Amino acid sequence: MIEARGISKFFSVVNEKGLAEGLTAVLNVSLSIADGRIVSLLGPSGCGKSTFLEILAGLQAPTDGEIRIDGKLVLEPLPSTRKEMEEYKRRYRFISPLANGVFTDRPKHDIAMIFQDYAVFPWMTALQNIVFALKLRLAGKKRSERPSGAEIAEKAGFYLGKVGLAGSENKYPSQLSGGMRQRLALARALSVEPKIILMDEPFAAVDALQREKLQDDLLCLWEEAKDNASPIIIVMVSHDVPEAVYLSDEVIVFSPGPGGTVRNRIPVDIPRPRARTDQEIVEIQERIFAILQYDINQESMYAI
Amino acid sequence: MTDESYETRGIRRVLLELGGFSKNALGNFFSPEFLCVLFPLLLIWEFVPRLGLIPESLLPRLSTVAATFWDMLLHGKLAVHILYSLGRFFAAFGIAVALAVPIGMLMGWNQKIRAFILPLWQLLSPIPPPAWVPMTIIIFGIGSGMHIFLMFIGIFYPVLFNTYQGIKDTDPRYLASARVFGASEFTLLRKVYFWHAFGSIIMSLKTGVAMGLVMLVIGEAYGGRMGIGFLLGQAKDYFLIPEMMVCMAVTGFLGWFFIEILKYVEIKLAVWKVGR
Repeated sequence: MIEARGISKFFSVVNEKGLAEGLTAVLNVSLSIADGRIVSLLGPSGCGKSTFLEILAGLQAPTDGEIRIDGKLVLEPLPSTRKEMEEYKRRYRFISPLANGVFTDRPKHDIAMIFQDYAVFPWMTALQNIVFALKLRLAGKKRSERPSGAEIAEKAGFYLGKVGLAGSENKYPSQLSGGMRQRLALARALSVEPKIILMDEPFAAVDALQREKLQDDLLCLWEEAKDNASPIIIVMVSHDVPEAVYLSDEVIVFSPGPGGTVRNRIPVDIPRPRARTDQEIVEIQERIFAILQYDINQESMYAI
Repeated sequence: MTDESYETRGIRRVLLELGGFSKNALGNFFSPEFLCVLFPLLLIWEFVPRLGLIPESLLPRLSTVAATFWDMLLHGKLAVHILYSLGRFFAAFGIAVALAVPIGMLMGWNQKIRAFILPLWQLLSPIPPPAWVPMTIIIFGIGSGMHIFLMFIGIFYPVLFNTYQGIKDTDPRYLASARVFGASEFTLLRKVYFWHAFGSIIMSLKTGVAMGLVMLVIGEAYGGRMGIGFLLGQAKDYFLIPEMMVCMAVTGFLGWFFIEILKYVEIKLAVWKVGR
């Protein structure tokens, strides 16, 4: 269960005159996402949806508001008064609030994240990439409960096979195609058996044919996890309307930025498996297209 | 067939690696293209003094230099001098790298640490390493301590700054993806920052080798009784041009050899970069 209450994020940027200027990336977004749902955040570029996702992952502190995952706070918001700010700076003098710890590996939440440009480590083979993530996730357990190296490698190999990368264990990401690299990132995220997977435009850099295949694979793996009674929440940032509608239980449309906020929440109550050309799906797609179109037109009128 | 059946162990493995190394290092020299340039140059070196175009007292023949090299090796304890220089060089290189890489990594990793110590290096590093010579002689006296310190000064700054820069430029995406999985800062330093900066660290070691050799020659020419720089200084004092040339060639060879070793280490450790 993800609960976001009143999330806002302001940045300080330098304008063309060289003066500091406030920039609102996310404005007052409140959401709650139940276990085992797929939710898409949709909106034009620059509307703050990626920033919101990073706040969800605990990679940025919100300026205001709080996010709780299963009741546990992700990151405290930044202080607002000068006195609080001094206290905050003193507390995080040497280590940033984003850090997990100086020496002990410790996942804060059961999250995995997939980035647009994969972010699999180029200096590790496919297998090593997954073993790296698995070992980090096991670090919280007692030494006696941890599986041996061979068991970890076996588990990593199992997940590689699941995304269709069996046989590429010892290849480096530079030897894999874009689609295969994204599969590797997916395998790495799934291998830690997370409760939540956050995806930042996961299929944007993959060609259209690969993309449909990857989407179906993702749904397949998600259903499998659901059947094993370990449902996964997937939160996906996208600007591809058909993809968002096809995959999600709910599409959240952001208003155009700067200062993106939730504009519409459109439920997609169509049972799976769905067909991409299903009448209902196409209707929802057209509704969302109309909303986005309207926003873009209004924005240009406003700008003039 | 698995990959393991291709793996060789023991002495065969060592021979295989040596073969790979020499192929990498010497391949450039024995290419037909380069031999076309090298042979005429060597012939010119041999025949210009022989034909009297340049007096032989200024430019000794190639054969004279080669004979001098052989003579110094047999009677002049050239090997002992080289070993002295090498010992000092490795001591300085080891100390400098062992200090510069961790300090550079810490500076690149944490802003607070950077704020504390980066200005210090910015103040000290513009002092040209040879300018340290008089002070070093006063403090350490003439001897190995002085030579090692001078080389240390030469190697430390390039390694420090390149490591720092490489670590600081680490792609935040990689950091973010490791952090989401729960990586501690120490794990990040070991598994992410270091490998991301690996290329620039090796690059900095190559610069360090070059600077170290510069300081080797300068330091040993200023004082001491052993070492390749001392031989060079002695040859200068007695105006022995063939000996000077031998010393030049030996230092040049050492620098080339160390840099080839570093290149080979890079190829071996950074397998993921091959074919990019």
